[in-house]
Amino acid sequence: MEYELENPLTGFEEHQSDTIPSLFSSESDHMTYISTSKNRDLDVSVRRQAIPMIFQFSCNSDPFIPYLAVNYLDRFISRQELPHGKPWMIKLLCISCLSLAEKMKQNDFSLTDDIQRKEGFIFDTETIQRMELLILGALKWRMRSITPFSFIYFFLSLLKLKDPSLRQALKNRATQIIFTSQHEIKLLEFKHSIIAASALISASHELFPLQFPSFRTAISSCIYINKEKLLDCWNVMNSTVMNSYESVFDMIISLSTNNTPVNVLDLHFSTTTSQSEKAAAAAATVMKTERDIKRRKISGDDLRYCNEKAFQVTQIQQC
Amino acid sequence: MEKYEKLEKVGEGTYGKVYKAKDKVTGQLVALKKTRLEMDEEGVPPTALREVSLLQMLSQTIYIVRLLCVEHVDNKNGKPLLYLVFEYLDTDLKKFVDTYRRGPNPRPVPSSVIQSFMFQLCKGVAHCHSHGVLHRDLKPQNLLVDKEKGILKIADLGLGRAFTVPLKSYTHEIVTLWYRAPEVLLGSTHYSTGVDMWSVGCIFAEMARRQALFPGDSELQQLLHIFRLLGTPSEEQWPGVSALRDWHEYPQWKPQNLARAVPSLEADGVDLLTKMLQYDPANRISAKEALEHPYFDSLDKSQF
Repeated sequence: MEYELENPLTGFEEHQSDTIPSLFSSESDHMTYISTSKNRDLDVSVRRQAIPMIFQFSCNSDPFIPYLAVNYLDRFISRQELPHGKPWMIKLLCISCLSLAEKMKQNDFSLTDDIQRKEGFIFDTETIQRMELLILGALKWRMRSITPFSFIYFFLSLLKLKDPSLRQALKNRATQIIFTSQHEIKLLEFKHSIIAASALISASHELFPLQFPSFRTAISSCIYINKEKLLDCWNVMNSTVMNSYESVFDMIISLSTNNTPVNVLDLHFSTTTSQSEKAAAAAATVMKTERDIKRRKISGDDLRYCNEKAFQVTQIQQC
Repeated sequence: MEKYEKLEKVGEGTYGKVYKAKDKVTGQLVALKKTRLEMDEEGVPPTALREVSLLQMLSQTIYIVRLLCVEHVDNKNGKPLLYLVFEYLDTDLKKFVDTYRRGPNPRPVPSSVIQSFMFQLCKGVAHCHSHGVLHRDLKPQNLLVDKEKGILKIADLGLGRAFTVPLKSYTHEIVTLWYRAPEVLLGSTHYSTGVDMWSVGCIFAEMARRQALFPGDSELQQLLHIFRLLGTPSEEQWPGVSALRDWHEYPQWKPQNLARAVPSLEADGVDLLTKMLQYDPANRISAKEALEHPYFDSLDKSQF
């Protein structure tokens, strides 16, 4: 049976709702314990070195593969100590996590061979296999990870959105937020269901500010959700996502020679377009929205952008 | 694997030998299953990885034999080999039913036991199906039983997905056809959860009769056994049947009274059995629906 991160427990869509209670009851088996581990500093340093490596190795692949590899990495380093002073060990760990992730996702193209060729370092098959087995043992072969993606379907269903394009826009944005915030170590202490709920709340805050209060209530009053944790997680997530906008924005600033990024930020929504069209447009231009939000944040410091921006932000809020 | 002391060979699973063993430290009894999934150039084989993680996910319920852990050992050539370590149950449903048929005191299996075992079996099958997994080889030998506690659990799961169910096991034992659904026997390639429900029906009848309902020794004989009792299927009854790959012209039998084949079973039981043995897989009762059937009304479900 194929393994989909969004639907780890069943291959049949019609049974998806049957597996909700087991999703919530088994998510703790898939938690990471880095934030509470006694080797926290070491774990954090391994993680800091490993994550960029995993993303570098897996450029252009299905984004769920590096995501899953990082999930394996986190679960592994919180359960198993790595030998000190062996930098190649981290590389081996990254390759093995990626190799397991791509096998689970039934990727046809072998990333690991490609990495080995490009990077010019060679671990023999046996070494990678030993590492794979070490990881599998530490993770108890629970490789169908329950991740925040597994809960998106459920939380989305609580919002009772009738328009499929609105649902899709919200789901896409929440998915992006989950990807963007995976590296944030502070998020590791939260359950995956809480992360999913926070991501959807953040996404609705950005895309549908008018419905946001009702969406937030619908999600936070769900029986599986601890409201305080949700609020904590949402705060961490917001600052993580905001930081990532800043880095994107800084990049744009540095790339733009005439220093007028304003023209790429234009977001025009005609007041006559239907809501679903707006949502689709909003989803398609999420990058622009992100920049706008960044601009919202810097507007106090940089008044040059202010006039046009104020107009744009009110437009976004209407959609 | 030094952790375990092999006690005896308890069976030949479809995919390899099964040993009863004891955890040297805790004394816990386990069933060891060698998988024959050897490592090769690609490291841990993707099929093994996916199957074992699927098993790991499914064994979260008490109605499925629990996968305790996975051990790897190096074989003679220094290549790692996988052993699956399962919880141990003292007998299986085939041996259990045999003790009522043979032995010093032959007697029917108590109807309360049949009812309870059927409920647990349907629970387990519903669990697999809700997770998108077909068992495809349900038979009394694959249902493990704890006599004392009255517990039944489904075994031999998951690995059936990576390899098509073979006609002969690796020891060249003939794999039994008695529980195989007619659509599989007729060569349908698009079969679904109904194949397991047919097997559940055959197992239900077998507990009540203490002998197999359709004991065929070839695929044709198997079909003829079914047709003789349930009547030769028609297009009206099962749209598309005559277009199946292995369909031929068969003698025309009329359906017999199913209640006569299971004389000890009460009326509600016969009704449930009839719903499990529907020819058209689309009309066959699902495991989830079966759990709601009046046959189980008198069962004390609080024990599960």
